[in-house]
Amino acid sequence: MNKDIGSLFKGKIAIAIFSFLFVVMFQVIASHGVHAQEADEMVQYRNFFGIDARLVVWIVSELHLMFAAFVLGVPMFAVTVEIIGAKSGDIRFDNLAREFTKLLSAAFATTAAMGGLLAFCLYGLYPGFMRYMTDVFHPIMFVYALLFFAEAFCLYGYYYSWDILKEKGKWFHIFLGIMLNVFGTTLMFLANSWATFMMSPSGIDLETGALTSLHAAFENFLWMPVNIHRLIANVAFGGFVVGAYAAVKFMGAKSDEDKAHYDWMGYIGNFIGLAALIPLPFAGYYLGREIYSASPVMGNIMMGGAFSWTFIIQAILIGMLFIGGNYYLWNGMDRIEGAERYRKFIIFINVIIFFCFAVWLTPHNLPLSGEERALIGEQYHPFSKFFGVMAAKNAVVNLLILSTFFSFLIYRRANKGEILPFSKHGNSARIALIITAGLTILYLVWYALGLSHLELEADVKQYVSPLIKCLIIQITAIVITILLTFSNRGKFAQVFLLIVTSLIAVVYLAYYGFVVMEKANMVLRFLSVTQVSVVISCLIVTAVLDVFIFKNAKEVGQIRWGKIPLRSQYALLLLCVAIVTLMGLMGFIRSGLRMNWHIYGYMQDTSDGAFTPSIAYMGWTTTLIVVLFLALVSFVFWLAGLGEKKKEKTA
Amino acid sequence: MASFGKSVIFTLLVLGFFVYVCFYVTGLSGGSGGGEAKGVNPEAGEQIFWGDGQCSTCHSIGSQGSATRGPNQEGLAAKAEERAKERGLSSGLEYLIESIVTPGEYVVQGFDNIMPKVYEAPILLGREQIMAVLSYLQTLGGDADIAAINKFKDKIPEASKKKVIPFVPPIEVDPAEGEKIFFDDTREVTCSKCHMVGGKGAKVGPDLTGIGAVQTPQYLIESILKPSQVIVNGFETMYLITTDGMAYNGIVQSQTEEEVVLLVDEEGEIAEYVFYPDEIEQMQKQDISIMPGNFGDLLTTKEFYGILSYLLSLK
Repeated sequence: MNKDIGSLFKGKIAIAIFSFLFVVMFQVIASHGVHAQEADEMVQYRNFFGIDARLVVWIVSELHLMFAAFVLGVPMFAVTVEIIGAKSGDIRFDNLAREFTKLLSAAFATTAAMGGLLAFCLYGLYPGFMRYMTDVFHPIMFVYALLFFAEAFCLYGYYYSWDILKEKGKWFHIFLGIMLNVFGTTLMFLANSWATFMMSPSGIDLETGALTSLHAAFENFLWMPVNIHRLIANVAFGGFVVGAYAAVKFMGAKSDEDKAHYDWMGYIGNFIGLAALIPLPFAGYYLGREIYSASPVMGNIMMGGAFSWTFIIQAILIGMLFIGGNYYLWNGMDRIEGAERYRKFIIFINVIIFFCFAVWLTPHNLPLSGEERALIGEQYHPFSKFFGVMAAKNAVVNLLILSTFFSFLIYRRANKGEILPFSKHGNSARIALIITAGLTILYLVWYALGLSHLELEADVKQYVSPLIKCLIIQITAIVITILLTFSNRGKFAQVFLLIVTSLIAVVYLAYYGFVVMEKANMVLRFLSVTQVSVVISCLIVTAVLDVFIFKNAKEVGQIRWGKIPLRSQYALLLLCVAIVTLMGLMGFIRSGLRMNWHIYGYMQDTSDGAFTPSIAYMGWTTTLIVVLFLALVSFVFWLAGLGEKKKEKTA
Repeated sequence: MASFGKSVIFTLLVLGFFVYVCFYVTGLSGGSGGGEAKGVNPEAGEQIFWGDGQCSTCHSIGSQGSATRGPNQEGLAAKAEERAKERGLSSGLEYLIESIVTPGEYVVQGFDNIMPKVYEAPILLGREQIMAVLSYLQTLGGDADIAAINKFKDKIPEASKKKVIPFVPPIEVDPAEGEKIFFDDTREVTCSKCHMVGGKGAKVGPDLTGIGAVQTPQYLIESILKPSQVIVNGFETMYLITTDGMAYNGIVQSQTEEEVVLLVDEEGEIAEYVFYPDEIEQMQKQDISIMPGNFGDLLTTKEFYGILSYLLSLK
């Protein structure tokens, strides 16, 4: 047994090191080749056996990104689950964390191989462009390679030392897992700087291309927004892919024990995916806003030009995620005794979610024929035109998130009955709540102060003061919520905070959004952040509150893991396919925004592939990428499961 | 294994729906769909027309597209033959080539000389791409004739090799500041009270969405400082005298047999007036734009270049 593990371990390390050496060797050869050509004629572009180079790089880089997202997202919740297991002493959590890591370990070598393939493709097919990128970033490329070693050692150390460190050294094992996350995240941040440099180059002379500051090139304008967006998206991605793995296993499970295990795993995967999905629109909004700030031209291409229609497709995929996530939760209530008390709410949440989805989907500028325009009398539809603008879309996104959160709250309390008075939870609960509320309030105060100190003309600034008032009301509502909870009225406090938040973020700020669009358009960006801040503060305080309110609550029924309708597993599959497709779509948008530039504003793409593909073409290519990724990941997971089958047979 | 098979079928169904939506959206947005078309053929030309060529920023085809800046190209093949005869050219194709290569040579009545040379920056179409567009235009009421297009190959220039040097204002300005001024309704005169960008603003004057892709800085400078120099078709000032002797200067928002709706500038505010046929004594198009001609006085140099940079960024 030990010999098997040892040889497998060595094999995987060997693959990783081989991939790395291959990349380095290829870089040396490629750069040597390029220098040799300088005397003759520099080759700028090649194709791949007659296939368009752009298409090859598109597919390989997306596949690499998807595997990378998985191997970066999963360790975050694997370690978290392990910590929960270590703290609670519940072996189920430890086993789950180990199963996550088994998948991770299998996917890691594929990620490395894909990385190597991507490097080959880039250096081989775009030699001129890559020579320049290497000139600028070569010191960071070496750091990247070294960190890759560190990540590989931590991952395999983490996975293969599970049994050895189980009894003595659990926390050292957790430390290894944390370091795995630290190295993995740093790797992603390094690679992100190359991609964002291409979108918002800095630290170079835009005329000559000469490097003026490596630090500025690395920490370019879009670097941090992309980092934040990718970090959160990777967690959602990992959660939903794990959920789908559990769904397939559940559907094929023979024993009740297996069904229960994979049902639970699917639930955890969905929970992680949804938890990460909730802040994702905010991170996306931040990224979009920063793209506008980095380059208004790029911003217009994104929201008003060639890529504006892709956001309709994005809305459909995000709608699938929210609807699928909620549908799974509602189905999950079937396995919980006592959940019938809350079923009546589902129909209302359903209506709200579909309404939000419809508004999100409605374009401002309908494609109308001349006759239709004449019939309506203007370019815009008299009613739907209001749904197409940011004020309406921001409101429904926040309502969608609050509704999903509400779904989760009723799921959590489905089998809970009488709760203990809050005072019974002791000082630790009181302190935890005060710290949570305090930090949240601190953030709201900080943002309100920022708004009050904005340097704007008096005519525009008057439209900012209602936002400050909204923040003050929210702060007051949080204080009242805490006081109500301390008076043992925690459930009422939650409802109170949710209502106040909805009234501010969804009702009032939606209306006010139209006012500022009309009167002082630039205030809309502050309004959006205010909306987000109010909603996030509510989610944080209510979630922490929920944990304590229902701590040690009387259970009115059992959770019968494994007794979930089969249809719910298709919801998990839908979530996985939707998030993988979404990642493919967003990769296309982010990269395509540069239009015919390799490095925006400095190096033009003069290859045959330098055109913006139609959405239909993007659809086919993304579908191909998704199919390839799911096929590869299924194969890798199947390989990872072979050892288990062998063990079962031996037993 | 059966469960895995069902999962695969379900996944393929979801992906099938995704592809369907992509095709549907492509149809709505005016693209041709079906993948990357290359070479000289109508399929590639159609894709360029609605995509990189940015032709659809100014031209519609029948009910497809919504641009009115340039002529609607429905039935273009027949129109091209007529205009070729009118201009003494050998064929409709030659007329089409002339329209693209030297667009100022002949301007369709009722429209303005605003078409850019598509082989120059910022559009930069190559010879093959222009030939593809020509083959597509031939199909609008006729048949594509690639062999004939090839005969004119030498008359069609390659994409300009001149390095794309973006317009640099003489002073440092921020397009974001320009955007702010464009939409700032607290000013004496606000651009967005008459012009729309990305669905925001009013439609009294031409929609400026994507204007940076089709117009040069020089044209925009002239349009801001001397608005009457070139008045976009459909936005001419109308002088209207009523039967009771009142005179109005404004832009016709709509004109039917039942009524004429005129947008009139009243000290910076746009008022809408409805006139019935029995109230109208006389209507006459004017050569003077309703747009104020004193922007040189109303804007500081920095504000002026800020707005200009913002407009140029709208691509």
